[in-house]
Amino acid sequence: MNKQCKMASRRLNFFYGDYQALHDISLELNENQVSALIGPSGCGKSTFLRCLNRMNDLIPKSRVEGEIILDDRNVYDPGVDVVTLRRKVGMVFQKPNPFPKTIFENVAYGLRVNGLKDSEALASRVERSLRQAALWEEVKDRLHRSALGLSGGQQQRLCIARALAVEPEVILMDEPASALDPIATQKIEELIHELKKNYTIVIVTHNMQQAARVSDVTAFFYMGKLIEVDLTETLFTRPKYKQTEDYITGRFG
Amino acid sequence: MESRFHQELDVLKMLILQMAALAERSLMNAIKALLDRDVDLAGKVIDGDREINLLEVEVDRQSLKLLALDQPMARDLRFIIGCMRIAVDLERIGDQAVNVAQRAQFLSSRPALPPNPVMEQLGETAIDMLKSVIAAFVNEDSQLAVEVCRMDDVADELNVTILRNLLEYMVNEVAAVERSVQTIIVSRCLERVADQATNIAESVIFIQKGVNIKHHCQE
Repeated sequence: MNKQCKMASRRLNFFYGDYQALHDISLELNENQVSALIGPSGCGKSTFLRCLNRMNDLIPKSRVEGEIILDDRNVYDPGVDVVTLRRKVGMVFQKPNPFPKTIFENVAYGLRVNGLKDSEALASRVERSLRQAALWEEVKDRLHRSALGLSGGQQQRLCIARALAVEPEVILMDEPASALDPIATQKIEELIHELKKNYTIVIVTHNMQQAARVSDVTAFFYMGKLIEVDLTETLFTRPKYKQTEDYITGRFG
Repeated sequence: MESRFHQELDVLKMLILQMAALAERSLMNAIKALLDRDVDLAGKVIDGDREINLLEVEVDRQSLKLLALDQPMARDLRFIIGCMRIAVDLERIGDQAVNVAQRAQFLSSRPALPPNPVMEQLGETAIDMLKSVIAAFVNEDSQLAVEVCRMDDVADELNVTILRNLLEYMVNEVAAVERSVQTIIVSRCLERVADQATNIAESVIFIQKGVNIKHHCQE
């Protein structure tokens, strides 16, 4: 694969109380690549994604074993500042969740939280983020109107712009297009393709065709285990394991 | 219960098997017509080709539909692509049978050439390769497909022997040049059938293993 590993899990186990949701997951996520996580509902792919920026910390009685390495450091080390981690490892969710604020303020929000006050600098970062999210042309004349007036697809790209504004290194996407129509979905997929030039992207999707279209590497999860990871082209044309084959050809269960 | 999609794949498989049965019958009849100097049987082969052609169109239609509507993956995807390739080869085998049948009609209307046991051998080899490769497709047997690929060398050698024998014969029998040339064309057609059976074997291996061994590209 010849790419630099940006983030990796090493023998990661995750528990919701007594229930073990992830078993010994070791997976490398490379820089400037899109890694897709696929598998049936409850297979652990979203749990794994949420471990990457410690979103699961918020779940009561949850417990993590093993390591998540970001640039040679375990993100679960006691000294790690979770806010800094989540700035570096941004997240886009299934349903677009803009703040009930203006378009401009949605994107500027994280910058303000991080202490940026200069209004020119703010405006330039907001514009750059909106351009990166392929939304600028559609909203440049209504930056100070409510974000809630945007379409679903525009709202999702706004959320991506909001994630990009704080200059993350890794972007986690949890089914980012599942609530969108085909045209908005296509825009998001094109955007992912553009963004990988500058970011490491990890996407969870139920839509196998989408994983096949957007990702370079695909990992198949089943019952909390990582069954197979390979180049997307290889995994979808000649997977090594029968469980993978059965899942992607719809012969499951 | 088998899913709708997998039932549709079975339909595709049945179309290939129908094509294979017709192509095999055409080839056997064409060779029989040649050896027995049976003009009527040759005519049946020529008339029967249309049915094979129509099935090829049906394979294309069914494959295109499944690719467009079901976005198949992995083995299913390889199966559809493999079937499309196999249909092209089977249709060409049908065409080769027609060529042989047309030569058989011509040769039957002229004095017979001396017996040609090597041609019989080549015909048997071509039929054997076709039957084996269809069995490999049905039974998902890539080992048998590999054996079919190896048999192609035998067919090539027999074709060369026929060519050499007939060239020698023509030097002394100027009156038999046209019949000899027609017989060389028959030999060439049967050698092509062996090539097409080899192509089908390569498709069977592609479906089973996901590797492309065409043109020895894996070496």
